[in-house]
Amino acid sequence: MWCASIGYWLPSGNDLMRVGPDLALIAAIVLILLTTMVTGRRALATAVIVMLGLTAGFLLNWNAGVWVSHHGPDTILEPVPASMIIVDGFTVYFRFLLLIFLAGVTSFWLLGANRQEKDSPEFFTLLLGSAVGMSLMVSTLNLLMIVVAMELASLPSYALAAFDRNSRKGAEAAVKYVIFGSITAATMVYGVSLLYGLFGTLNLAEIAQQMPFVLAEHGRTPLFYLAILAFAVGVGFKISAVPFHFWCPDVFEGARVEVTMWLSVASKAAGLCLLLRVMQTLAAGPTGAVGEYVGPIAGAIGLFAALTCFVGNLSAYRQTSVKRLLAYSSIAHAGYMLMLGAILLRPELSEGAWTAIIAYLLIYMFMNLGAFGVTALVEHYSGSDHIEQFNGLGRRAPWLAVAMAVCLFSLVGLPPLGGFLAKWWLLWALADGGGWLWALVIWACLNTAFSLFYYARIIKHMFLTEDTREKMRVPMSGVAIVQLCAVVLILTGTILAAPIRTAATRYAQGLLQSRTAETLTLTDHAPDETHESMLHH
Amino acid sequence: MELFSQHILSWIIFTPIVGAALCLILPTRWSRTLAMAASLITLLLCISLYATYGPAAADTPEARQEVFGVQYGDMKHVERASWITGEKFAIEYYLGVDGLSFPLVVLTGVITFLSCWASFTVKKAIKGYYILFLLLETGMLGVFLSLDFFLFYVFWEVMLLPMYFLIGVWGGPRKEYAAIKFFIYTLAGSVLMLVAIVACYFFSASALGGRGTFDIVQLSTNQSILQKFSDPHTLLLGFRFAPFMFLLFAIGFAIKVPTFPFHTWLPDAHVEAPTPISMILAGILLKMGAYGFFRIAYPIFPTVAREFAWFIAAIGVISIIYGALCAMAQTDFKKLVAYSSISHMGYVILGLAILNKTGFQGAMFQVLAHGISSPMCFFLVGVIYERAHHREINRFGGLWLTMPRYSSLATVGFFASLGLPALCGFIGEVYVLLGTFRAKDTFDWAVPMAVIAALGAILTAGYILWMIQRVYLGPAKDEYKGFPDANRNEIGILVPLAALCLLMGILPTHTVFNFMNGTLDLLQEKIVASAGIVGHLASSIGM
Repeated sequence: MWCASIGYWLPSGNDLMRVGPDLALIAAIVLILLTTMVTGRRALATAVIVMLGLTAGFLLNWNAGVWVSHHGPDTILEPVPASMIIVDGFTVYFRFLLLIFLAGVTSFWLLGANRQEKDSPEFFTLLLGSAVGMSLMVSTLNLLMIVVAMELASLPSYALAAFDRNSRKGAEAAVKYVIFGSITAATMVYGVSLLYGLFGTLNLAEIAQQMPFVLAEHGRTPLFYLAILAFAVGVGFKISAVPFHFWCPDVFEGARVEVTMWLSVASKAAGLCLLLRVMQTLAAGPTGAVGEYVGPIAGAIGLFAALTCFVGNLSAYRQTSVKRLLAYSSIAHAGYMLMLGAILLRPELSEGAWTAIIAYLLIYMFMNLGAFGVTALVEHYSGSDHIEQFNGLGRRAPWLAVAMAVCLFSLVGLPPLGGFLAKWWLLWALADGGGWLWALVIWACLNTAFSLFYYARIIKHMFLTEDTREKMRVPMSGVAIVQLCAVVLILTGTILAAPIRTAATRYAQGLLQSRTAETLTLTDHAPDETHESMLHH
Repeated sequence: MELFSQHILSWIIFTPIVGAALCLILPTRWSRTLAMAASLITLLLCISLYATYGPAAADTPEARQEVFGVQYGDMKHVERASWITGEKFAIEYYLGVDGLSFPLVVLTGVITFLSCWASFTVKKAIKGYYILFLLLETGMLGVFLSLDFFLFYVFWEVMLLPMYFLIGVWGGPRKEYAAIKFFIYTLAGSVLMLVAIVACYFFSASALGGRGTFDIVQLSTNQSILQKFSDPHTLLLGFRFAPFMFLLFAIGFAIKVPTFPFHTWLPDAHVEAPTPISMILAGILLKMGAYGFFRIAYPIFPTVAREFAWFIAAIGVISIIYGALCAMAQTDFKKLVAYSSISHMGYVILGLAILNKTGFQGAMFQVLAHGISSPMCFFLVGVIYERAHHREINRFGGLWLTMPRYSSLATVGFFASLGLPALCGFIGEVYVLLGTFRAKDTFDWAVPMAVIAALGAILTAGYILWMIQRVYLGPAKDEYKGFPDANRNEIGILVPLAALCLLMGILPTHTVFNFMNGTLDLLQEKIVASAGIVGHLASSIGM
């Protein structure tokens, strides 16, 4: 909304409603800090505020979703070409997943021994802060906003990694994480500045449109690739794609289960969605340019995706800490999902790719929520997440063990569980492309077979290894959450398979239609404005 | 009643699941009864398919056409409903039965029921055991009855998980190793199959123009698909499509069969698995590999079957000889039976490879005969292991004198496995060998292969007779004097199996051939026609 009196753009109330979920989380942060001043550090009070914030966020997101489905994507801070925030179907979808996952992390934190701790306000302030960053990462096409959102997501993460103040490992991990993170962030900013220098705009949609004209000039293409590479370093760090995954072992080792869960699942998903959105935007440029300039990028993404899933699986293979094992497995899954980045630039394939990514993200979240949840409960109630602690879990806590088994087999991708369907749609989308993408399909399949080694090791410890310890007492609510995840996975693999596919397809179609509409507006309006301003002069 | 008669195959597949759900809900003391009831009902449902296939016993051309249809792919009791449908794909819930799957479904019913009965030896965590057992049965039946690739794959994998736990939790001392080895091998094979399934879909899409298909029957009968697949210019990653895909499928199935280079999981899995599970492994799981070749690999890629016939036959012959030699070297009773399975399944591969009617019939008969005789052998080993708590062949001796009833049934089982005339093992081997000799006009290598394979029969006789001599004959040893003879349960399980061995050996046409030859002949004609083989193979008639 143009506010004539002050000569500046201000968001309207309507616009604010679209970013309502982010505002709700920010409000929760402020409330936590204020409450702490009044009541002192109370874990329960904090938790109540967090849950309220999440509920409010959920409802506002619902509202935003309804609005988006009626009016199409909302661009905030107009005019359109320079929009800072875009709220479209994908943003809404990602926020839903993020909020559900946050609720899961919060519950496991509360169910653990951490309930007694005085640090809860700090923990949740940081957690919610990084959640806001992640939500923003997925709702922008502005390079500057991307940098800001990524920093907003990263900075609290550094502190979260070191949250155990008494743990030397945690401190070491955090230092490494900070150093690695700042270097990659700096590289990314460098890439962004190069892009700005080249194109004179920070808006990715515009960059995509201008690509053929700007890059046609001799000698600019290498600079463009350098910029993209530098940009990719930052994103690669976030999704811990090979070769930017070196921070993982220490951080996953030093941090608590909840933090590991947050950093390895949510943060990765956010980075991945950002990357896919960027690819999609670049691919929406003029057809010739896409093939010429974006094609090589897609090939490189495919290659790095293949490396990422292999390295993730290979590193998970030898782990004895279940937390770390799952964290590495999430790298492998990021690799599978990254493969889809390779096909986004082909318009005829992008629907399949988005359908796959939407279904994969949903199932990926439930698989990891369940598996990390069981790990968190085992760690809290037996003191460690070493794989030996899982010995005989099938007898000591049968419901927990069964849920874990379902989640793990789903992570492997065995039918009739959701993980199989997710992987199936992914392979499907890749295979639809044909050509060299078949190599990715085969590679993903071989990696699946390989991943069984380490997932089955946990299963072996739970069911096959004898153990004489007495039964484990686990709160019913914790069991209920992980069981819920298991049930969701079984249903999504069988009777819900068709509805999920239909819904994901419809969602993807909506997304792509709105994207095309947007591009159209851009191309239609841009000359007009210039024309107008020229007249004005 | 409508609901029942229209959906008989669904009932067959899902009755065990219902049993499993009841086991989960009801108290543990009922688990065994429930599992027995569920597997018995499933068996009766399987046998009820006889209503459809019974007329084939008349063995007239009209009856055959009535039962088996006029071309390959005429299925009975078809159930078809769309499951996951989109613009570009249609995954169906598609079931059907023909002369190829009917005998295997009945075999599955029989063996599962008997091994459920034989599970009285299992004492640990029986609730979990029976739940997994029934899930396994659903998976097996689903594989034999589904005609949609996606559905087939789902059932194929559904079978894996229960098997892993059944070996891993209830198995012997090295159960963990055996279970994971089985799991990894099979999964490796099935992910390759997954690639091939996806590839078949997309390449059939370009053949049909528009949507592809997961319909196994359509893939193997539609001319434009077959042409597209076998076209040497159809490439995937630079490889010729048909051989590449055939290889992916064949590895998946060869691991299951198992044939020579992929067989190493089998001895471990068999030895460590509890007796009833060994029975299922040998009696049904191995048959899935053979079924896969018959149903998928051969009909969809007939040209490859023709081109690489020598290679497949060689693999089969190597399995026969190698398995027999390994079996001869074993001192562990159960391992001997396990290696003998590899040897016997080699005949199936050889019979397939030669692509004539006699060979196909022999191979399929061998599948069924081995499906009866090897569970019997494993159960026989289990019975003696229960008493002696060891399986060292050389430590036994003179059991006939202490356990006459058990030992006389044992001889029936082992002689059936040996291939003695009048018992089931004989027919399959003879058909395969005759078929191979007959194929001499098409394949130059047929006669030498047949000769070597025939040598395998001698080796088989060698290790089985030698084993019988060491275990059952000779003077009674003191340590085995007090052994009770086979009890009522054991007799109850062994007698039906022995009876089937005899019946199939004496009346092969009336018990087996009449119910499957119709489909097998159609299948062979189809393969031969689409592989472009003319002359002897096409005109050679079955026995």
